[in-house]
Amino acid sequence: MSIAWTNRMLLLVALGLAALYLFPLYWMYVTSLKTGSEIFATPPGMFPASPQWSNFVYVWETRNMGRFLWNSTIIASGTMALTAILGTGCAYVLARYRNGWIDLALFLVLMLQVLPASLMITPIFVGFSQIGLLNYPQLAVILAVTAKAMPFFVVLVRATFMSVPGELEEAALVDGNSRIGAFWFIVLPLARNGILVSAILIFMQAFGEFVYSKSMIQASELQPASVGLNTFMGPNTTEWGNIMAYATIYVTPILAAFVLLQRRIVSGLTSGALK
Amino acid sequence: MTAQIELKNVEKYYGAYHALKNIDLSIAKGQFVALVGPSGCGKSTLLRSLAGLETITSGAIHIAGERVNDLPPRKRDVAMVFQSYALYPHMNVMDNLTYSMRLKRKPRAEIEAAAKEVAETIGLSHLLDRFPRELSGGQRQRVAMGRAIIRNPKAFLFDEPLSNLDASLRVHMRKEVRALHNRLGATSVYVTHDQIEAMTMADHVVVMRDGIIEQQGAPLDLYAHPANQFVAGFIGSPAMNFVDARISESGEAARLNLPGEPLIPLNGSYPPGRSVIVGLRPEHLSVVGPDAGLALKVSMVESVGSASYISCSATPELSFVVEGTTRLRSGDSVHLAIDPDHVHVFDAKTRLAIGVVN
Repeated sequence: MSIAWTNRMLLLVALGLAALYLFPLYWMYVTSLKTGSEIFATPPGMFPASPQWSNFVYVWETRNMGRFLWNSTIIASGTMALTAILGTGCAYVLARYRNGWIDLALFLVLMLQVLPASLMITPIFVGFSQIGLLNYPQLAVILAVTAKAMPFFVVLVRATFMSVPGELEEAALVDGNSRIGAFWFIVLPLARNGILVSAILIFMQAFGEFVYSKSMIQASELQPASVGLNTFMGPNTTEWGNIMAYATIYVTPILAAFVLLQRRIVSGLTSGALK
Repeated sequence: MTAQIELKNVEKYYGAYHALKNIDLSIAKGQFVALVGPSGCGKSTLLRSLAGLETITSGAIHIAGERVNDLPPRKRDVAMVFQSYALYPHMNVMDNLTYSMRLKRKPRAEIEAAAKEVAETIGLSHLLDRFPRELSGGQRQRVAMGRAIIRNPKAFLFDEPLSNLDASLRVHMRKEVRALHNRLGATSVYVTHDQIEAMTMADHVVVMRDGIIEQQGAPLDLYAHPANQFVAGFIGSPAMNFVDARISESGEAARLNLPGEPLIPLNGSYPPGRSVIVGLRPEHLSVVGPDAGLALKVSMVESVGSASYISCSATPELSFVVEGTTRLRSGDSVHLAIDPDHVHVFDAKTRLAIGVVN
């Protein structure tokens, strides 16, 4: 087999896998536009015969989606802001100093990343309830999600900081800047891309967060869209069209943002690795 | 002459590693001092300690009479030019040049005037809007210099600023840096591993090795009177030849440890019978007729047109220089005469230069 042939085969395999991977997303969009009878038709149609655009309006109004999405935004923004503020300094220190303690700290940070949310939720819930944090459920969720997202952020942003040459900082110090000034005006602007991208990824992750919100937020007017979607579904659900419309409304903005920022995200993630 | 920079008993440890050992150095105002030595000799550490980027373990550093040991870099009023130039990538040339002035919140008019003047000095007036990534290596180097000049500091510190340039540009910039120094009359400390840079640019050369100052002095003094074998081998290109030898009974000649044990005359009297190392600079060996001098076999000829560098097969290898081209070929026999005025004698054990015994 020639190289061109191999490449073509590999491309075909890649396309096949991508299609397989993206099929649920496609099915969500298609189902959201189908009528009730179409959804249960065998064999299922790949395209809706008469798109039911009214599904979206109906779901938005009856399920109070504005409220849910707003709550999701609050939690995601809070998580992003807190992670960025706390994590940037941490990542900077981990990037600039090299010794055994730093290695240990990095190891612990990565350990945290390994623990699944569904395992962590019980101790977090007990702890938060004891100090009364559950009276501010959204804040509680923001704190919990921040703790969960932090390692990811720190590791990414650390790589970004490591790509900023230390000599620039030293030049700034000699030029008359303080240590903090050099960080703020020289290092931070140069690491901006990496930090922004990591923060956006954290936002997206927090926007879809479910386990902590479901467990800690009882009041439905404070719940995020992920929990709202979950309450929509019951054991006897047949409204798949509406549920998929809900999911579509929920997912599309994140998806759109990702597609728009895709190039920056990729370059931001690899900038540390390539330099 | 008052000392602009003075180091007294400066010691620096990195953990157990002793990076600077009891450094004493006094640099006069307006002097151009080169710190030179092989990598890891501590020259960069010394420079960074002057800048305040490293803290010294003990000793004292004075800049313009003020003790700066515990001052952060920004309070020392020194400017530094880095090997990588360290230009701020997110600022254009104008902003790079004026960064220090803007930090001091100088009035805008003053900043602009200074930037214009410096840009003219370094010949970059037309590039003020460019970003560092849009400049060539030489231009970046100039911006880095300009950023130092605009500060009018108490001292300029150069950390191998020319080593990232290609050979011809390096020779050109060497002259420019020196001319700039002459014009500004500022005190400069220049770190380099290239002894030619040190010799050509500096008024005062400090040769370092393993954290100690091996010798310091005017460039040609180091060349003519190296204090030990290390300095002798480090200064001068091509490098000095070293041959084991023993001082003759008379004390006025040395018997070289070469086949036939040739005897070479020395200028002056040395302790008879002492084991020594004789240093012979390639440029002080000359070809003579077949009945005199050291008889050797040519092993390699490297000709660059203006001069030819010829190596002879001996243990250790001996090399010499002749002006212009040569007819000598590998395998030819050659006889070399040695000028007794230019023979360096070092003790075989301590490797220190042995003075003439009168």
